[in-house]
Amino acid sequence: MIPPVIKDAVMYANLLILLSTGFTLTYLTAKIPNFAHGTFAAIGVYVTFTVLRIWGLNPYIAAPIAFLIGAGSGAFLYVVVIGTLKKYGATLISLTISTLAIEIIVLAIINIYADYVRNTMGIISRMFMFRYADFEFIGLPGVLIVSTTLAVLLILGFHLMLTKTKFGISMRATVEDPALASVLGVNVELVSTVSWFLTGGLAGLAGSLLPLWLQGSPLTGERILISIMASSILGGISSIYGAILGGYLIGLTEVLGTVALMDLLGSWVSAYRLLIPLTAMAIVLLRAPHGVVGIFEGVRARGLSLRGIMRLKQ
Amino acid sequence: MIDLGLLINVIMDILTFLAIYLILAVSLNLQYGYTGIPNFGLALSVAGGAYVTGALTGRIAMAVYGVGEGLDFISDNTKITELVNARLSHDPLMGILIFMVLIAIVTVINAGLGFIASRPAIRLRADYLMMTLIAMGEAVRVIGTNYYPLVGGTFWVHVPDLFAWMGDMRRVGVCLIIFAISIIVFLAVQAMVTSPYGRLLRAVRDNEVTAECVGKDVVRIRTRVIIIGSVIASFAGVLYSFHLQTVLAAAFTRTDWTFWPWLMVMVGGPSNNIGAAVGTLVVILTRRMIIYYKHYFEAYIPFEVIWLEQIMLGLALILIMVFRPQGLIPEKPTRVRGLPRKLLQKLREESKEA
Repeated sequence: MIPPVIKDAVMYANLLILLSTGFTLTYLTAKIPNFAHGTFAAIGVYVTFTVLRIWGLNPYIAAPIAFLIGAGSGAFLYVVVIGTLKKYGATLISLTISTLAIEIIVLAIINIYADYVRNTMGIISRMFMFRYADFEFIGLPGVLIVSTTLAVLLILGFHLMLTKTKFGISMRATVEDPALASVLGVNVELVSTVSWFLTGGLAGLAGSLLPLWLQGSPLTGERILISIMASSILGGISSIYGAILGGYLIGLTEVLGTVALMDLLGSWVSAYRLLIPLTAMAIVLLRAPHGVVGIFEGVRARGLSLRGIMRLKQ
Repeated sequence: MIDLGLLINVIMDILTFLAIYLILAVSLNLQYGYTGIPNFGLALSVAGGAYVTGALTGRIAMAVYGVGEGLDFISDNTKITELVNARLSHDPLMGILIFMVLIAIVTVINAGLGFIASRPAIRLRADYLMMTLIAMGEAVRVIGTNYYPLVGGTFWVHVPDLFAWMGDMRRVGVCLIIFAISIIVFLAVQAMVTSPYGRLLRAVRDNEVTAECVGKDVVRIRTRVIIIGSVIASFAGVLYSFHLQTVLAAAFTRTDWTFWPWLMVMVGGPSNNIGAAVGTLVVILTRRMIIYYKHYFEAYIPFEVIWLEQIMLGLALILIMVFRPQGLIPEKPTRVRGLPRKLLQKLREESKEA
């Protein structure tokens, strides 16, 4: 049987890549870190809460709804807030502050909803966990199967989209050089909006699965943001594939590392779990600021130059 | 008739918060406005200052007076504070001495914290720095809420009243002390940014490459400014703890201690300390008014008013950045002898357009 720690780690890492790819994609298209990204996941958490606790339906019905609401929020943030600010000539730093403002607004709306539900219906609306509502399949929790499937689909989907479809290629062109891309007839704004739509949706989706295994509350997003940023930075912050690798590395290290340290030092370590992605982030920034992608490229460049020297010798 | 006592209380409350947040706004303005460092980790320094205050004031006083033998600092906190306060109320000299020592310790620790937090990303682009500092702020809060011996984890610790000797005048006295420190900080930073060093900071902000080319070590200047800014911001944490006389680890959230100062600086106008002061005044007045009047509409809505306040002020920030990005009081070019300011303004606008 698979030990529960491994299930925990894989499940968390799966959710993390849904979020870190999104964070990276928004960074690529708008050139700013989106601090509201974690809060989009919190929206998903509350969609699941609504579907299960208020409507009394299967929690997986929440997934598509969360995707749409998250996607809508993402697109709204890009088109209305960032678009308007850009039109008025805002700097990248002001754009980033605006995402912080959005985070606070969305968080406040979620809190209003949580208060409203608690006060009018008497349902506990913070610090909940729905493991009991999940199905089980050959001894595995359903959310593990679903999240793994989603993660695989995401990786395949992104790969096919970026290499095979016209939209993916125009997305890459937009990221590479927006001015040149628009000269060649790519609708840069549309591509960016669709990217933000997609990333918001993925965040909502990840959030909707989260309470089936972990504790959900309005602050879930704020907590997970650190892990998302660490994954994205580990992946080199400007590469989707890097973000996938970074998400798995950070997700697995965070869970397995905490458990290993708990065995070593005692159970008090679990409270400081957040420090693991933070340390990883600091080490990456100090030693290899371009992340794993940078390391690979460095190795490849060295290999190429070695081959070049060999050729010169011959 | 207006109740005079109540009015004095309200004014003191506003003045205290104004003074505490003015320190933060000035610190952020020094970092972001003048040097161009987007410090998203102000909460880290505030928490740093408050945690040191909570953890050390009581312990130092305990050691000085030799009271509380065999008592645990955290679990018997109320008792210890009572014992210490009884002694402090007759001992103004010791109270002031402990306060001085505390400020010195806070300065050293927070200079270190600022250095460590900024180290990973100080050489990289601004967005890396923003991400690291936000994460570091969160981490300090996690340590504060979980490391029980520091300030009691999810409980709180009392801060002994170092100004108990003021007797009945204690509240007014502490308010005045906080205000005086705030003014000193403001004037010190103002002196710093109007000195030649301030010109250097603006050079780093406006064009890093040029500053490097004329032989200025940009990374070192930035590190120095972050360290100074962190120390200043930590004073806000110290004063806030003395105002409340308790330290609750979970209170130092990103919204309260990073976002509000940013809002104040953006409202008032970055790189302009007078603007920062005006922004602080506007935001503090708005927030205090909401707090005073919230019970009028609290009965009609099924949720807490604080969320509405956050939505409102979040929207205000976005609107300010859209319609008046230079803030209420825009930055003025520094006076140069022989050159009229208007000409400088014109030159600057031309260079911006180009």
